[in-house]
Amino acid sequence: MITVVAFLEASVRLGIPLALAAMGETITERSGVINIGLEGSLIAGALGGALGALAIGSAGGGILVGAFGGALVAMIFAGFAVGLGTDQIITGTAVTLGGLGFTGAIYQARFGTTGTALTLPTLSSVPVPLLSDIPIIGSALFNQAPTTYFTYLLAPMLWYFVYRTEWGLELRAVGEEPDAAAAAGVRVKQTRFWATVFGGTLAGIAGAHLALAHAGTFAENMSAGRGFIAIAVVVLGRWNPLLVLLAALFFGAASALQFQVQTLGLSVPYQLFLAFPYLLTLLALAGWVGKSRAPASLALPWPKDS
Amino acid sequence: MTDVFAHLNGIIRHFGQVKALDSANLEIHSGEIHGILGENGAGKTTLLNILGGIIHPDAGSLEVGGSQVRLQSARAAWKMGIGLVHQHFTLVPGLSVLENLALGRRHRGHRWRLHLKEIRKEASELSKFTGLTVPFEASIEELGVGDRQRIEILKALLRDPQLLVLDEPTAVLAPAEIDQLFQLLRTLAEEGRAVVLVAHKLDEILSIADRVTVLRRGRTVMTAVGADIDTAILADAMVRSSSSDGDVPTTPDVLSVLGQGSDHSAPNREPGNRSVAELKGVDVYGPQGGLALQDVGLEVMSGEVIGVAGVEGNGQRELALVLSGRQEVASGKLQIPERVGFIPQDRNREGLAADLDLTENVALALHRDPRFRLGPLLRWSLIELHAAEIRSRFKVRSSGGRALARELSGGNQQRLVVGRELSRLPELLIAENPTRGLDFTATAFVRGELKRLAHDTAAGVVLISTDLDEILEVADRVFVILRGKLTPVPSAHDSREAVGAMMLGSRLEVH
Amino acid sequence: MRRFDQLAVAVLALVATGIIAAGSLWLGGYDPLVAGAAMFQGSFGSGTAILSVTMVRAVPLIVTGLAVALAFRAGVWNIGAEGQLYAGAIAAAWVGLSWGNAPGWFLTPASLAAALLAGAAWAAIPAFMKVRLGIGEVIPTILMNFVGIYLAAFVVHGPLQENRGVFPQTDLISDAARLSILVEGTRLHAGFLIALLVGVILWAGLRWTHFGFQARSVGASPDAARVSGRIESKRVLLVVFLSSGAIAGLAGGIEITGVTFALYEGLSPGWGYTAIAVALLAGLHPAWVVFTGLLFGGLEAGAGAMQREAGVPAAWVSAVEALVILFVLAGDQIRRRFSA
Repeated sequence: MITVVAFLEASVRLGIPLALAAMGETITERSGVINIGLEGSLIAGALGGALGALAIGSAGGGILVGAFGGALVAMIFAGFAVGLGTDQIITGTAVTLGGLGFTGAIYQARFGTTGTALTLPTLSSVPVPLLSDIPIIGSALFNQAPTTYFTYLLAPMLWYFVYRTEWGLELRAVGEEPDAAAAAGVRVKQTRFWATVFGGTLAGIAGAHLALAHAGTFAENMSAGRGFIAIAVVVLGRWNPLLVLLAALFFGAASALQFQVQTLGLSVPYQLFLAFPYLLTLLALAGWVGKSRAPASLALPWPKDS
Repeated sequence: MTDVFAHLNGIIRHFGQVKALDSANLEIHSGEIHGILGENGAGKTTLLNILGGIIHPDAGSLEVGGSQVRLQSARAAWKMGIGLVHQHFTLVPGLSVLENLALGRRHRGHRWRLHLKEIRKEASELSKFTGLTVPFEASIEELGVGDRQRIEILKALLRDPQLLVLDEPTAVLAPAEIDQLFQLLRTLAEEGRAVVLVAHKLDEILSIADRVTVLRRGRTVMTAVGADIDTAILADAMVRSSSSDGDVPTTPDVLSVLGQGSDHSAPNREPGNRSVAELKGVDVYGPQGGLALQDVGLEVMSGEVIGVAGVEGNGQRELALVLSGRQEVASGKLQIPERVGFIPQDRNREGLAADLDLTENVALALHRDPRFRLGPLLRWSLIELHAAEIRSRFKVRSSGGRALARELSGGNQQRLVVGRELSRLPELLIAENPTRGLDFTATAFVRGELKRLAHDTAAGVVLISTDLDEILEVADRVFVILRGKLTPVPSAHDSREAVGAMMLGSRLEVH
Repeated sequence: MRRFDQLAVAVLALVATGIIAAGSLWLGGYDPLVAGAAMFQGSFGSGTAILSVTMVRAVPLIVTGLAVALAFRAGVWNIGAEGQLYAGAIAAAWVGLSWGNAPGWFLTPASLAAALLAGAAWAAIPAFMKVRLGIGEVIPTILMNFVGIYLAAFVVHGPLQENRGVFPQTDLISDAARLSILVEGTRLHAGFLIALLVGVILWAGLRWTHFGFQARSVGASPDAARVSGRIESKRVLLVVFLSSGAIAGLAGGIEITGVTFALYEGLSPGWGYTAIAVALLAGLHPAWVVFTGLLFGGLEAGAGAMQREAGVPAAWVSAVEALVILFVLAGDQIRRRFSA
């Protein structure tokens, strides 16, 4: 029983940063933009969270700074890809490289390359009264850092936003047929820009959560490709915020599995564990993709090339 | 004397090097239907887009309701009561019909809710009033062009426009649908709204417009009241040659190209007795999974031009791809010769690679030809010569073989494509809407080449076009394609109305 | 005209990057001039620097740059050069160690051949996913990078670890497996010539061969290639993808047989990603890749000196490389807008 609870708890813990980033990317992709630079937003959020928490003295402050960092990186990406119309894929790759490079450089510049880990004010778990007392799932789901609860609430809100509001209608129209949306009077570039910045903001919060609630420190490249996995999670969740949350939690569970296997004492090489999430993502993409349809204008620049 | 609703004055607009509008004027009156005429490339769509706020003029003024305005966006135009119905449909497939109707309409202060019920109610009422029946429950993908057109218009009317602008609405409609549309426009005008209609068919415009403006090369060359003019005057205004013009043909050719009461009787060709291509019982699946072609049978003989007429979206694409060997059939027999030429309708994306140069684009047709190969290598010097020859024979105006395809004008691009395909010496040539978007000289050129290929070199030509007049002018034998089925029309040249009706699917006795 | 425009874009991109880079240094409290001088001194300031550091550092960049340029030319977004490079390095190390007694004329080419195959194999999974399943290749290739890095880590901790068992690295490969030095007394090895050779082959191949034309056409316009050129895109893309992977793998093999003579964790400081900047700055032109590869080689060679002399963290250089990509992309877009 204890291991089941631990497993569920780990699943949620591992899944939440993915869920946040993936839900953000869902909104971005719904507008027709694929943000490979999400990883850059994530690491910027992590560094921002760390520096912010240290400067302000609280983890909450760190989260805000992290959100801002993620938004900033996304703005740079959107400036090039949406504003100028540069190729989204390569621009996103460059933004991620730049993000990893800059955060690494800033970290090294401020804290040196000695390798002693930073200690940060952490975001501790806050149990939800009543709900956290539910047997088994209670402590797994409802005894987590506040950002986790934020994520739970965000999913249905985003769902409602996308499918039941006029803003969401315009977002979907831009993602499917930007020409049609433009003809109807919708501002395509603006919509895409803000959808992208929103996605980056959530990724920034995810990154800050990683540093402050998950690891308790910052290390270079600590995002470890979660931004890329998040993009795959969006596909698995069929661009639907609720399903994306579920898919992310499922991913968290699969990753948590690797620790269970370790405790069982099987002699599987340590590096295989590290590689596991990426292999799993590949498998999931290969198995699932044929069944859902991406927004029709995804990755296509607007206005189209003359 | 009706009130002036809007006034465009001295509009100038460039696209790169090209001057699309060179001092164009337009005076729109409320309660009137104003027709805008001009051949392809005259600047009609550009002018409308400026009126609709989608693009901005480089110079000139726009007055609405007596005061000067600058329309920053489509939304601004809608606010002024200007509603644009575009030439290419602007419906979003991923959304439902109601959501499409709702798109763009903002309920101030209540944007956190979709107002589909209210919109449905409004749309139903409007539907009854205008006679535009629209299937609210259907999904966009399964709708035909007629339905889409109706939804587009309904969408515009829901926003209560004082000026309704329609860009080539008749281009893809069958004759009966056109009548329905015109009745509606007349009703709208009688309500006091202003209606602007763009077309390039003279008789159509004259039948509906109260006032007509003719654009030529970006300039307003004539404005007149409908009752005072006739088709000859209009035709003349559209192509009157000035000293700077190059090769503009004389009036009789103009009339025939413009589809003006010319003699559509078939050239009475005796087709050759060699079968060039054959389809028998062919089924082909379309992109959405359904059957795009059903049990299609067709035999193309040497030396003839077969015309396939039909409203867009009835399987023409699949027919073209299958006949040219670009797509497999799901079942049935398909026999096509080895050398098949194909002029695709999207010349920018499928006919030419925009970022490759002209020589390389020509090479697209030649790269498998052993004459131009040396083992794994291509003989570029030979290809360059060949491409140069094509450019000169087909009068492609460019800065040379190294010019990128994107640098050429539409007409020159099509000349290159036609020249390239013909230089394959094909036994079969498939042409898909080959004159779409071309100016009048290029159009005449292309049609001439199609006829020449068939009649002079005994190749078989299949012309697939949404333009019935083009079919009747060029083809020896005519078919109609409707919902994936191909039907021959033996006496097509004798009864244009019959063919038009068949395109729509209504039964008309053809004797 | 095309070439001149592309050159202008490259130069302007470098200038813009330089300005932002200097600006960011100044904001960070560093002296841009000192940093710049240190970088130049470390990369091009002396014969040793040029031959033993810059040119040596340029080899993997040129080769991976060629791999990426080939892929991008055909429209394949191969972001996986990093993983493919590691796969090639693992294979070369394995061959070099397993057959250490074989003669040099066999062992070195065998190691490199193994590297080619391993790189292609590494690209095979994303390639298959793209061609057969229609899954965009960007995320799969990136994922394979992580897998490749961890595979190399596993290998040096386990099966191929040195006999002493102390450090996570392999034993040194025998002399027979090593590439010869080109200039006595320097570290410049034959891999440089191999890089040039690959460049020439790609240049000639793209320009003169039938397949090269097909690849270029598919990259320029998949629709036109399919409809007007009747080119089977899938086959072309598959071959290009695998070749690109092979070349990236070769880069890994060259590093093993020419520079490090052993495999260890962190062999590549991100060459597979820098390769994107190298390829883009060169306008995806194989001939120009050699030059941009040298430029970036100098950049990375100078980074170490810059860290020592001016205290600027080396990680900053990868940020600068990212800026180059962004400015080249922006420049290309603006150029396209103006010519339209």
